[in-house]
Amino acid sequence: MNTLANIALRNLTRQKKRTVLLGSAIAFGVMIVTLINGFAGAFSANVSENFADLMAGHVFISGTEKGADDEELSVIRDDSALTAAVEASGAPVRYVTRRSSFSGTLIFEGKKLRTNIDGADLSKETFLRDRLLLKEGSWDSMSDENALILSEKIASRLNVGVGDLILVQLETVTGQANVGEFRLAGVSYDAGIFGQMISYANLGYVNRLIGLAPDEYQTMGVMLDGLRHTEAAADAIYGRLYGGVQLFERGAKDEDGAVTPFQALMRQQKKESWQGVKYRLFTINEVLSQIEQIVAALDTTAGVILVVLFVIIMVGITNTFSMVMFERIGEIGTMRALGVRRGGVRSMFLYEALFLALGGAVAGIALALVAMGVISLFDFGMDSPAFIIMKNGHLSFFLPPLRAVGNVLIIAALTLVAVASPAGKAAKLTPAEALRTQK
Amino acid sequence: MKRTIGAALLALAIAAPAAFAQDVPAILAELDRQGDFAGKDFAALYTIVSQKPGEKDSVTQVRMFRRDDREQFTMLVTLPEVNKGQGYLREDDNVWFYDPTSRKFSFSSIKENIQNSEAKNSDLTKRSILDDYEVASTTEGFVGKIPVWVIDLKARTKDVSYERVVLHVRKDRTMLLKQEDYSVSGRLMRTTLYPKYVELDGRLMPSQMLIVDELNPGERSQMTMTEQSLAPLPDKVFTKAFLEQVNK
Repeated sequence: MNTLANIALRNLTRQKKRTVLLGSAIAFGVMIVTLINGFAGAFSANVSENFADLMAGHVFISGTEKGADDEELSVIRDDSALTAAVEASGAPVRYVTRRSSFSGTLIFEGKKLRTNIDGADLSKETFLRDRLLLKEGSWDSMSDENALILSEKIASRLNVGVGDLILVQLETVTGQANVGEFRLAGVSYDAGIFGQMISYANLGYVNRLIGLAPDEYQTMGVMLDGLRHTEAAADAIYGRLYGGVQLFERGAKDEDGAVTPFQALMRQQKKESWQGVKYRLFTINEVLSQIEQIVAALDTTAGVILVVLFVIIMVGITNTFSMVMFERIGEIGTMRALGVRRGGVRSMFLYEALFLALGGAVAGIALALVAMGVISLFDFGMDSPAFIIMKNGHLSFFLPPLRAVGNVLIIAALTLVAVASPAGKAAKLTPAEALRTQK
Repeated sequence: MKRTIGAALLALAIAAPAAFAQDVPAILAELDRQGDFAGKDFAALYTIVSQKPGEKDSVTQVRMFRRDDREQFTMLVTLPEVNKGQGYLREDDNVWFYDPTSRKFSFSSIKENIQNSEAKNSDLTKRSILDDYEVASTTEGFVGKIPVWVIDLKARTKDVSYERVVLHVRKDRTMLLKQEDYSVSGRLMRTTLYPKYVELDGRLMPSQMLIVDELNPGERSQMTMTEQSLAPLPDKVFTKAFLEQVNK
């Protein structure tokens, strides 16, 4: 067996140019597929982490109050039980945010635009100053009660500048019409396609507009040390809250099963009836569960590319090995005459193909890793339109080891299939026929 | 003598607003009665022409079916063509919106605007001013040259769209000529003028309304009511199945 493997290796080195070309074709295919796998591997984590930054939390608790008339009201009135649960959970908490928000229409000199506005306690959420870079204006102006920070895109579409007074038309939590006035305090750099999500105002003023008391709010966000702690922290906080306050069941699935866990939670809220405030705990992963479908689509695309590339490469390998068999027909005859069995000849060809596939695949993965390293050095900036899929403005990759091993195995198997036919033909040759055949 | 005249004037000054204050609930009750077809079904075709600066006028047409006894209504969009077949249905306290494209119902609200116009669902339905609002003050005024009572109302409940409403009601007969709607923060949001009325079963119904958006200058909607009828409607009109069927 070792002898056959040695002969196979020697055969590969005899025709260096041919081996390098075939190996390069395999390596190129593997590199492309590995890059897509690496991108998909980091995609989910990057999007979730960036959204966690935008939404100011990995784990969220929101309150819904139902009045006597069954009307729903989004509010957290007393958060002492929530705060205690977060503290007692032992979760690695970086900070806790308390926010209210509404979707309203900004109106300025005949122009209007619908957007979401988050009310935040900026004296406590000091991290916002580091994360949200202002192009115009200053954070100090946010000390004005009705100050507002808009993204560059929204400010430009409204044609509004720092210091301008902007009307906002909205509905209170009970659905009544209301109008407020914001003074533009700052314009932030655009956060790509999600620029419109980032409009910040003072929590107190937002509460006043939507009809909540100054010390009330709608959503508590718990920012953890990293995305990896999300599910464990959510379970721990849920466990602490359970029994102490009214809670929606986590992970509920709708009857038709066609909705995300978060949507199922929202539908559950519509169906149930209760008195007072009932809380729902959800995570950034639940909000973005459809991201997993994008990752699955990327992986499927990578798989399809792998197959298409290798069908093409397999045709080349089959032809090349048919040629190799013809070139070595005298050698095969001699080996057969010296006592090598049919299986030995077949194995020799298969070993040769296997070494070629493994060499190409390993080189492909190595090339992909180098390419990933180089690509991730480029800084696209935080204002890139693709910022949401990047890590701090850099494209990042994560290649799951099992996926890399899987790709190598697929390539090895496909190469063996491609070589099976010429190897079989070589094995079937009788020694006399092989020695008689003229090249 | 001077003292007697002074006392008489003072008594009149005190008595007149008191007497008037007693009339205001009656005026509001009459306005409620005029918009309430209890015991009968009501149907009409509303055409809404909306104007927005820099945009072509848009025409929306909805056929309204009401059964005020049960506070039910069904509203079917017939224009624009792209939205034809969409509908609203009030069942108990829920308002449903039907989209024929997805063939699905979703939660809506009586406070929602009709299509892209300034008119709200609640503008076409039965109103109960006495239940929803309390009188904050009453003064006299004019709409054009017509003397009116200016009745300032404050919401008793949060179920209504506007926290404060000012009604301008003709003095010589109970007819609403103008209505101003204010936000929770006290800003004028919408002014509605009622220039034309028709009489239907002893009730005055506005056949034309001009709704002016006070926040967005130049945006207004003119709503015209035609084909009004009090003929009985089949029960199925007030069901989800009806909205689904008319689209088949």
